[in-house]
Amino acid sequence: MDINFRKIDIDVYDEDAIHESEIYEADPRDPGQVLNEAKQKQSGVRALLARNDVAGALKTVLEGAPFGPGADEAKSITLQTLLTILNSTKSTDISGAIKQLTQDDHDTLMKYLYKGMAMPGWGDISGSVLLGWHEKLTEIAGTGCIVRTMTDRRIV
Amino acid sequence: MAPEVSSLAQTPVTAHAFSPDRTQLAASLNSNGVQIFSRSGADWIPSETLSEHDKLITSIDWAPNTNRIVTASQDRNAYVWQETPDLETGKLIWKPTLVVLRINRAATYVRWSPKEDKFAVASGARAICICSFDSENNWWVSKQLKKPIRSTVLSVDWHPNNVLLAAGSADMKARVFSAYIKEVDERPAPSVWGSKLPFNTLCGEYSSPSGGWVHSVGFSPSGDVLAFVSHDSSINVVYPGGPTVYSVRMPTLPLVTLAWLSENSLVAAGHDCQPLVFLGSEGGWQLGGSLDDTSGPKTEAARPMGSSPVVGRLKAGAFATFRDADSRGQSTLGSGSGSSTTDTKLLTLHQNTITSVRPYEHDGVQVTKVSTTGVDGMLVVWDANDVTTGGINTLTGKVGGMQLR
Repeated sequence: MDINFRKIDIDVYDEDAIHESEIYEADPRDPGQVLNEAKQKQSGVRALLARNDVAGALKTVLEGAPFGPGADEAKSITLQTLLTILNSTKSTDISGAIKQLTQDDHDTLMKYLYKGMAMPGWGDISGSVLLGWHEKLTEIAGTGCIVRTMTDRRIV
Repeated sequence: MAPEVSSLAQTPVTAHAFSPDRTQLAASLNSNGVQIFSRSGADWIPSETLSEHDKLITSIDWAPNTNRIVTASQDRNAYVWQETPDLETGKLIWKPTLVVLRINRAATYVRWSPKEDKFAVASGARAICICSFDSENNWWVSKQLKKPIRSTVLSVDWHPNNVLLAAGSADMKARVFSAYIKEVDERPAPSVWGSKLPFNTLCGEYSSPSGGWVHSVGFSPSGDVLAFVSHDSSINVVYPGGPTVYSVRMPTLPLVTLAWLSENSLVAAGHDCQPLVFLGSEGGWQLGGSLDDTSGPKTEAARPMGSSPVVGRLKAGAFATFRDADSRGQSTLGSGSGSSTTDTKLLTLHQNTITSVRPYEHDGVQVTKVSTTGVDGMLVVWDANDVTTGGINTLTGKVGGMQLR
C-alpha cells in the first residue's frame, strides 16, 4: 500500500493549525550562545567526571539544556555529553547521584533517557545502561516524571 | 468517619450530580441515558432513566435552587430537564427542553452558573456556549466564547459573581473569560480578574510548566484564586495579582478532576485512584494527604509485601506476576493458588481512575464531604476532614520542592 500521503503536511492548508511556537515559550537564548554553552559544559563535565563527581556533572549538563528548533547541534552535543556520564557511572552510584538532583533535573534527565532510547541503534550506548538509569530514576522521581516527558513539548 | 461506598454499575460512570437534598443522584453510566437513583438506606436504587440524547452523555449538573438538571452529550446537544406534573396522572416527570447550541463537535462539559440563570457548555468545537433563557420564545439560546481557544475545552467553572468563567482546554491552557450577558447579568463589581468585562474578555491565560491538557479548573470559594490540574501530573494554583502560579508536580500519574474545600484547601483526584488533599495559601501550596487510607489492604485478601502504592502499580499486580515469571521462573498464571492471584486489587477504594470529584456537603464555612465517581462504576462519599498521611508519607517527601514561577 502506498503510504506516502502520510508525509504530506496537511497543516499548511489549515489556517487554524496550531504551531509549535504557540505551544510553549521559546528559548530566550540565542542559538549561537546555546551552542557555546553546550561546548563549555562538555569540557566542564569532563573535569567533574575526572573527580568522580557524577551528581555535579549531571547538574551541569541538565541545567539550561537546549530545546526547541534551531538548536540541533547543541542538542546533539548535550546528548553526547550526557551519555558519557551515564556510561561512566557505576550502577551502584546511580541512585545516590539522582537523589542529589532537583525535580527539574529529574524531568530533563528522563527526557534524555527516552531520547537515547529513540535513537537508531541506540547510538554509542548499550540498552542496559539506559534501562538501568530509567529504573533508578523512576524509583526516585515516580511515574509522574515519565508523564512529564511525554507531555512536555520543549523537546531536548 | 469511614467513606460511604456504593457500586452504581459495572460500567464506568462518566458523570454524576446529586439532587439539592442529596436523596437522589443523576449519573451517566457510559451510555446515552441519564440514570436517576434514589437513596434507600445505604443503597442507591435506579428509579428513572431520562432518554433523549443519541450519544454518550459527557456531563450532568443539577441546579441546587431551581432543581433543574442540565445534560451535555457527544450528540452535540444539551437538554434542560425540569420536573413537571404529568397532565393525565399528575405524577412528577422530568420534561426535557432542547438547547440550541450550534456546535459541530461533541459537548464535553456543562455547569450551571451560581444564580442558575445561565449555564456554560464546553465543546470539542473550540468554543464554550453560554446559554441563557429567552422567555419570549420559551427556549434556551446560546452565545459562544471562541477566541482564543485552540482546541477542545475539557472543563469549565463559574466564578461566584455569575459572570466570569474559567475553562481548561486541550491546547494546554487554563483561561478566565467574561461570560457577561447583557440581558441577564447586572454589571459585575471589579475583581482581581479585571473591572471592564464585556463578553469574551480574556482575563487571564495560564499553563503548567511542562504543558499537557488542562483536565479540570476551579475557582476558590471567593473566586480570587484559580486552580487547575493538567496532564503533566501537576496541580497549579494561580493568584492573578502577580500573577503568581504555584505548581506542585506529583511523582504519580496525572490528576483529572478537582474541587475546592475552602479558601486554603482543595481535593483533586485522577489516574491514581485516590482523592488527594492540597493545602496552601498565598505563600505556597503543598500536598496535605489523602482521603483514602492506602496503608493496608481494604479486604481480607493478602497483599504482597513491599508493594508500593506510591510508584503507581509499577511493582504490583500484573507487573509483579510477569516479573516473577521472568526472573524467578515462578508462574502463578493458571495455578489458581498463592497470593499473586488476588493482588490485581489496588490498595485504594476506587479500583480505577476517578473522573469526577464534587462537593457533597457544606457546613456554612467549608465543604465537609465530597463525592467521587470513576471508571470502576463506584460512588464514594468521603469525609473531607479525614485526611491520612500514612500511605503517602514517601509521597509528601518527594513533593516537598515547591516552585515559584
